[in-house]
Amino acid sequence: MPVFHIDDEPVEFHPGEKILSAALRNGKKIPHYCYHPGMSIVATCRICVVDIVDLGNGRPAPKLQTACSVDAAEGMKIETMNQKVEEGRKLVNEFLLINHPLDCPICDQSGECTLQDYSFEYGSGKSEMDYSKRVYGWRDIGTFVSLERNRCIQCSRCDRFTREITGTNEFGMFNRGHELTVDTYTDRPMTNKFQGNMADICPVGAITEKEFRFKRRVWKLKKNRSICTGCSTGCNVTIEHDRNEVFRLKPHENQNVNKWWMCDEGRLTYQIMNERKTRINRPLGRVGQNLQDISWEEAYRAIAERISEMEPTGNEVIALTDTHASNEELFLIKKLLKDGFLSDNVFCPLPKWEQRESEFFINTLITTDKTPNRAGALALKIKGDPGNVEVKNTIDGELKVVIVLGNPFETEHEIQQKIKPAQLVVHIGAYHNCWSEIADVVLPGQYYSEKKVTFTNKMQHVQATDIVVQALRRSRPEWQIIVELAQSLGHKYSFSNINQVFAEMAGETKAFSGISFDQIGDQGMKLTQTFKDTGMKLVKAPA
Amino acid sequence: MFSKEIQNQVNNLLSRYPFKQNALIPILLLAQKENNGWLTEEWMQHVADCCEVPLTHVEGVVTFYTMFRLKPPGKYHLQVCTCVPCCLVGGTELLEYTEKKLNTHAGYTTGDGLFSIEEMECIGACSYAPAMIVNEDYHEQVTIEKMGKLIDKLSK
Amino acid sequence: MAEETLVLFKNIRNPKYSKSLEGYKKAGGYHTLKKVFGMKPEEVVQTVKDSGVRGRGGAGFPTGLKWSFMPKGTGKPSYLIANADESEPGTCKDRELMLKDPHLFLEGMMIGCYAVGCHHGYIYIRGEFFPAIKSLNTAVEELYADGLLGPDPLGSGFHLDLTIHSGAGAYICGEESALLDSLEGKRGQPRVKPPFPAVSGFNGCPTSVNNVETLACMPFILGDDGVDAFKSFGPQNNSGTHLVSLSGHVKKPGVYELRMDVNMKDIIYGIGGGIRNGKKLKGVIPGGSSSSVMTADEVDVLYNFDELAKIDTMLGSSAMMVFDEDTDVVQLLHRITRFYAHESCGQCTPCREGTHWSRNIIRDFLNGNGSDEKLRRLDRVGGNMLGTTLCALGDAAALPIQSFVKKFPDDFRKYYANK
Ligand SMILES: Cc1cc2nc3c(=O)[nH]c(=O)nc-3n(C[C@H](O)[C@H](O)[C@H](O)COP(=O)(O)O)c2cc1C
Ligand code: SF4
Ligand code: SF4
Ligand code: FES
Ligand code: FES
Repeated sequence: MPVFHIDDEPVEFHPGEKILSAALRNGKKIPHYCYHPGMSIVATCRICVVDIVDLGNGRPAPKLQTACSVDAAEGMKIETMNQKVEEGRKLVNEFLLINHPLDCPICDQSGECTLQDYSFEYGSGKSEMDYSKRVYGWRDIGTFVSLERNRCIQCSRCDRFTREITGTNEFGMFNRGHELTVDTYTDRPMTNKFQGNMADICPVGAITEKEFRFKRRVWKLKKNRSICTGCSTGCNVTIEHDRNEVFRLKPHENQNVNKWWMCDEGRLTYQIMNERKTRINRPLGRVGQNLQDISWEEAYRAIAERISEMEPTGNEVIALTDTHASNEELFLIKKLLKDGFLSDNVFCPLPKWEQRESEFFINTLITTDKTPNRAGALALKIKGDPGNVEVKNTIDGELKVVIVLGNPFETEHEIQQKIKPAQLVVHIGAYHNCWSEIADVVLPGQYYSEKKVTFTNKMQHVQATDIVVQALRRSRPEWQIIVELAQSLGHKYSFSNINQVFAEMAGETKAFSGISFDQIGDQGMKLTQTFKDTGMKLVKAPA
Repeated sequence: MFSKEIQNQVNNLLSRYPFKQNALIPILLLAQKENNGWLTEEWMQHVADCCEVPLTHVEGVVTFYTMFRLKPPGKYHLQVCTCVPCCLVGGTELLEYTEKKLNTHAGYTTGDGLFSIEEMECIGACSYAPAMIVNEDYHEQVTIEKMGKLIDKLSK
Repeated sequence: MAEETLVLFKNIRNPKYSKSLEGYKKAGGYHTLKKVFGMKPEEVVQTVKDSGVRGRGGAGFPTGLKWSFMPKGTGKPSYLIANADESEPGTCKDRELMLKDPHLFLEGMMIGCYAVGCHHGYIYIRGEFFPAIKSLNTAVEELYADGLLGPDPLGSGFHLDLTIHSGAGAYICGEESALLDSLEGKRGQPRVKPPFPAVSGFNGCPTSVNNVETLACMPFILGDDGVDAFKSFGPQNNSGTHLVSLSGHVKKPGVYELRMDVNMKDIIYGIGGGIRNGKKLKGVIPGGSSSSVMTADEVDVLYNFDELAKIDTMLGSSAMMVFDEDTDVVQLLHRITRFYAHESCGQCTPCREGTHWSRNIIRDFLNGNGSDEKLRRLDRVGGNMLGTTLCALGDAAALPIQSFVKKFPDDFRKYYANK
């Protein structure tokens, strides 16, 4: 790759790449407002000025140049911190602040506002503008975001977003000169399903998420990388939380998955992470009609005793799981049935689903499969079919042991009715549902924000979650529950962490072979052996 | 929405550009003319459909250019230039006189709907200053007397 | 005593001239076009280069060179766009040509189209120019009726269409990249450059944008012995005649065609008949409102590109605005700055905020709230727009501010001295 120099340090660039893009990719800091790597270059905010002391031909550029719009060139030398550059930035910030309300103390963006940051670093600290400022009112502009135009710095990112990214054109720039404003026109609210991104890309607090309004000061939030499990796309996210409460999800760049974006529905999944009422918070055992508190030991012992009494054959044991279960959990439940009962009867729902096709990438994030791990289930060859025919046939005979993971077949009353009379129903899951109602033993699992596991998304990328919030004290991650269950049934399972489970899975499953948990990292890994999902149907995104 | 004759002009315009969007501004001007000098949301939507662009785009365009109006002008739209050369030779006074005589202000229409006044930036007639445009006609080296007579004539 | 040199105004100054196609042809019109169709396009471009003609739109860029940048064989159509947006305060020469001799300009445009391989040229004319639009429309209709436009002009086989495109009121659309956005049906906001229009212009295709007067020079330049004659009208690097829009406090304002070696004093006192009402000259804005102001002491200078550049101002669009000793320059600067504040497209920070802010500061002086501190601030805010914006409008707004403050500081002080 060709090389140029930023402040005397070599930086590699792709031919045709702009100075700013190469700089940011290489971890260099150059302030910028209007530039966004996913959108067209307008070079209008003028904050990204740099001093090109050598254009690559021995000659300097005549004046400061905007790094976002000038191509990097072999041999080019630029300075980003000399006095000329500092003055260039200072004057731009001064211009921006003359009309800014300076209401940082009540602004939700405070703490992650580029204007605030740069003004602190480069600003002159005082504004000589003693004229009345532009004043506009606060406005509710969509289902998900609101607009405070007084804070707007006219960077046009939001305008370009609805033009270039969603193609919905609900937002625009109106008037010109000093009166230039961004808005939806004549109070028509926005309808696109990705409005939260506009709050993310707005460099100031002009567009903010309504969900987050006045809830917490940003600098109090702790952040963890994870993935969104709202659907099988698995957008990369940062989960932001404080004192064990999750406040919001923000997309995290992953060029192979979601680029810089995520959908609003996914953002709202933060609410489930804080859900307490329907959580299963301790192991429960059925006594007559009622479920009663028991300890983990009692639970495992009870299950082991019942099973040894029944001596079920392979046909009399079945496991049902949803595709919210992680790769490791699916692998382990399958392994348990095989090792413990010589049974292959692990079923999950695999309905047909639709994938959107669109000239706008962002629309392809939305799928009708609202579970995160269908591809994992397919890779691990969990049984299932669109009509649930096979599972229904299998449960026709007498059932002795049923293990249910999560909330599968929740709308299939026929299946639920047939499972009900089984002699032992064990439900493992984070939330109460129809299965905990009929279960004999209920074991409290954990939501994905509380555990480290992997999922395989619709593009067959394996991606990992992280422990973000502390789980309920008496819950355990499902993978651990299955391992302990196997141990109580007398199997020598010696997995003490998720990495070991993953390693065994990779050793035994072609799709995962060669991948290790640590390799997955930030960006995820494609399955070693991919396959075609016949349940997928491509549909055109609505215009 | 266009009359037959104007629709022909619209069709002709659309045929003269590689993309329909290219004809947006000339067609908006025609629409404005059809609607007595101003644009409504309905008209903007109609032009948006003609040029196959989103309505927001049309609105962004309309609010950018000074010739598009979102409220009705008077029957006679007096566009008085007060830019640099005109201002040097009495353009500002001319505007003040006009405002006083019509008892209204630049940007407004008289109560009878007969006149509206607009203060213009240079209209490209500087060597013949002060200059103004009435609807589509240029008037040059306009004195206060000339303006008075013109308004009287048009008021009849 | 200076007088006009008639090249572009040859017909216009002839009282018997009729601007119809017939009249223009009678005066020898479309003769050069026929000759040009017999040349190779490269030869045309070379001839234009040889003539040394520089763009009359304001920047003074050599036209032949601009045309030679047009890439060939891109597989995309090439475009020539006439810039008839004429909105620079003080400038009214293109209108003169379009109103009074439209065919001269159109012939020049057709020559240009042939030179750059454009089969469909657009004339971007400011929307307020209703009479000029009518004049051009009539002329273009005549050309189609005559077969001079269409599939086979003059038997050349060079298919050529021309379309008149009306703007809708925005000075910034005179800036060529904003013009292109506007022509595409968008808000007229200048584009980032590079890419320059020659590479990616109208709808992303190679495009040359040329001023009306520049194009109107072509029939002369490409005519017999045109290059030498054209060069003889001015000093080296400043060839040709130019149309000077003279306005302000002169006795005889008007649009005059002058050689490029005429002294400004002669223009003001000779051609312009001197200052009205027996007043004394105070200063001149020499090249449209965007140029730096000159004081009365500075006007003994040849009125052309290079001589004005030497004294830190510019010829721009050859629009001279003359003002006399009674003029309140603070008022004047306020009016100029108000213009830029009104016409800034607003996309880039220094221009959007700077034009408005500087206007506010000048208004402070007018309202009796001036101070030394504010004068320095005005100069600083002006300077902060200079060279920091996306397009040249920022510079255009900054130059008058800085030059007025520098050259007429006492006029500002008068506003607050006695307080
Ligand atoms: C703010 C601004 C306004 C301009 N206005 C005009 C104009 O009204 N007419 C014009 O011919 N050129 C104008 N120009 C210059 C054009 O950008 C361009 O240089 C010119 O049309 C090129 O033609 P030429 O080479 O024949 O001069 C303007 C430039 C700027 C920066
Ligand atoms: S609202 Fe935000 S993103 Fe939109 S232009 Fe203003 S500052 Fe930029
Ligand atoms: S300098 Fe002014 S007119 Fe030019 S792009 Fe910037 S804001 Fe627009
Ligand atoms: S980031 Fe470069 S100009 Fe805005
Ligand atoms: S200033 Fe009035 S026409 Fe130019």
